Amino acid sequence: MASIRVPEQKVILCGEYGVGKSSLFRRFANNTFVTATDRKSTLGLDQFKKMYYAYGKNVKLQLWDTGGMERVASITSSYYKFAEAAILVFALDNPATFHILSQHLLDIVTYAENAKIFLCGNKSDLVSEGSHISDSDIEAFCEQCHNLISGTYKTSCKTGEGIEDMFTDIASQLIKSNQSRMDLQTMDEHGFKITENSEDPEENCLC
Amino acid sequence: MDEEYDAIVLGTGLKECILSGMLSVSGKKVLHVDRNKYYGGESASICPLEELFTKFGAPAPDESYGRGRDWNVDLIPKFLMANGSLVKLLIHTGVTRYLEFKSVEGSYVYKGGKIAKVPVDQKEALASDLMGMFEKRRFRSFLIYVQDFLEEDPKTWKDFDARTQNMTALYEKFGLDKNTQDFTGHALALYRDDEYLNSPAIETIKRIKLYSDSLARYGKSPYLYPMYGLGELPQGFARLSAIYGGTYMLDKPIDEIVLGEGGKVVGVRSGTEIAKCKQVYCDPSYVSDRVKKSGKVIRCICLLDHPIANTKDALSTQIIIPQKQVGRNSDIYVSLVSYTHQVAAKGWFIAMVSTTVETETPEQEIKPGLDLLGPIRQKFVSVYDYYEPTDLGLESQIFISQSYDATTHFETTCLDVLDIFKRGTGEEFDFSKIKHELGDEEQ
Repeated sequence: MASIRVPEQKVILCGEYGVGKSSLFRRFANNTFVTATDRKSTLGLDQFKKMYYAYGKNVKLQLWDTGGMERVASITSSYYKFAEAAILVFALDNPATFHILSQHLLDIVTYAENAKIFLCGNKSDLVSEGSHISDSDIEAFCEQCHNLISGTYKTSCKTGEGIEDMFTDIASQLIKSNQSRMDLQTMDEHGFKITENSEDPEENCLC
Repeated sequence: MDEEYDAIVLGTGLKECILSGMLSVSGKKVLHVDRNKYYGGESASICPLEELFTKFGAPAPDESYGRGRDWNVDLIPKFLMANGSLVKLLIHTGVTRYLEFKSVEGSYVYKGGKIAKVPVDQKEALASDLMGMFEKRRFRSFLIYVQDFLEEDPKTWKDFDARTQNMTALYEKFGLDKNTQDFTGHALALYRDDEYLNSPAIETIKRIKLYSDSLARYGKSPYLYPMYGLGELPQGFARLSAIYGGTYMLDKPIDEIVLGEGGKVVGVRSGTEIAKCKQVYCDPSYVSDRVKKSGKVIRCICLLDHPIANTKDALSTQIIIPQKQVGRNSDIYVSLVSYTHQVAAKGWFIAMVSTTVETETPEQEIKPGLDLLGPIRQKFVSVYDYYEPTDLGLESQIFISQSYDATTHFETTCLDVLDIFKRGTGEEFDFSKIKHELGDEEQ
């Protein structure tokens, strides 16, 4: 099979329910924002691909949303499989969502061993004076994680601030670190997707 | 949990997850519950390896097995037919995007104590030692007949009414001998026993067509197997259900299915909580009073540190032992997957030998299959009861799936699911309800 295709990199969103994962996803997919948690607007939509360019190479980020499974049950382990990057999301105005990050980090390193991990403090628009999660909290967390975190960002899905910068940075980091691996990517070691038959199978006599 | 749902689905086995997905997609409000902490029930793939050993009460695996987390061991062995109904369901529901597959490398059939490759093309057929010279020619004209056969075009029937005449008659028409019949019926049409010989030939013709159409799709064999094991399949459909609004709860024991007037289901109780619903869909383990045992299936998981002899060191394969070859009434199946599918540590293979139980000593029954494997490092045997519902749900609105049978593929699984969906909703599943083009934005 032809392999002059743009490499796709699966990026997953992780973090507590309500920190704005679907909002990040919507910003990524169609650059919109809805205030009320309107689940209908993401019904049936859980992954979106977008092209990025860095270091002379194209890469297609394929962003995955949890589909709200973390609300009561756990996310399926297949969600993590094949992920090249994971964005750990917490809400800057909600310390509880920050302190539980180690839990989500554990899931990522267990199920998506090879994923690069990024930290995203969302809802930066809600952070007023004397806010809850400070830069030094974030630094301390990254230190505790023994440099597992490849980048930290602050975003606001409401204003759109910081979001494109984050995805662009993640894309270029992935291109850089995976360069040699992407060149080697072949159908053979990775399995394939099944798709609808485009042309009729020709002569398929068994004998 | 204290809410009202259109449907509550109990158990997250493959059938229940497909149903849950189809119901959510059809706009129903679905609650999906499992008593286990993990997705998949009996169709889960066990990870890590230590858990598999614990499950069967064996002492912990030593270092030679590599990292426990690199293992995902299925409890029920099956492959997907590349052109079969499960693949169609995966494509139409868009669940295919969560999964990656590999083609199974080869399919073998047991004859006279040895295994022979099921020929996939003319060259292999001519070289095959399954048939003699003249038999090969007869077999060839039989295959061409099947290939050209169109149900709606009587001209292709060639003076044979496959809807009324049976398969024995069709074999006779082409003069195929018993051996060829054996391998055609069991390794191509994938029948478990010989009852098909007396049924209208059309069914067998369709099955052989499915086999060759599947073969045509990816080449080496008609079978596909998902990376990371079959447990990925229920999870994919669970995800479909969730993104269409389904609510998931794991680790939730179910204490009672609450009935109302006329024995119709009104809810499900867990502890003191009751979730109301109009319908329940579940596997047999949640409704022991509405199912009956109708047989037993034996499955033996074998961990090997080598491929199977005489399969050209295939990393995945299927071997069918037709019943007559070993004096039985139902076939023995051997399936093999390996580290290449991310289901075992580097260098390891997982073979599974299974069949429908016919005697009091089921382990003896699978011996011909085990004998093909060579040295087995670890063996886990289990005998499962096969249940089918005694209540079809029309009054109670409780729709129960059948246990997974001994077949090596998912065709019967899908038939059961589509039948349950039809009984439950009164309509065939409308694939056009899925807007799976969303999110597949190409640039």
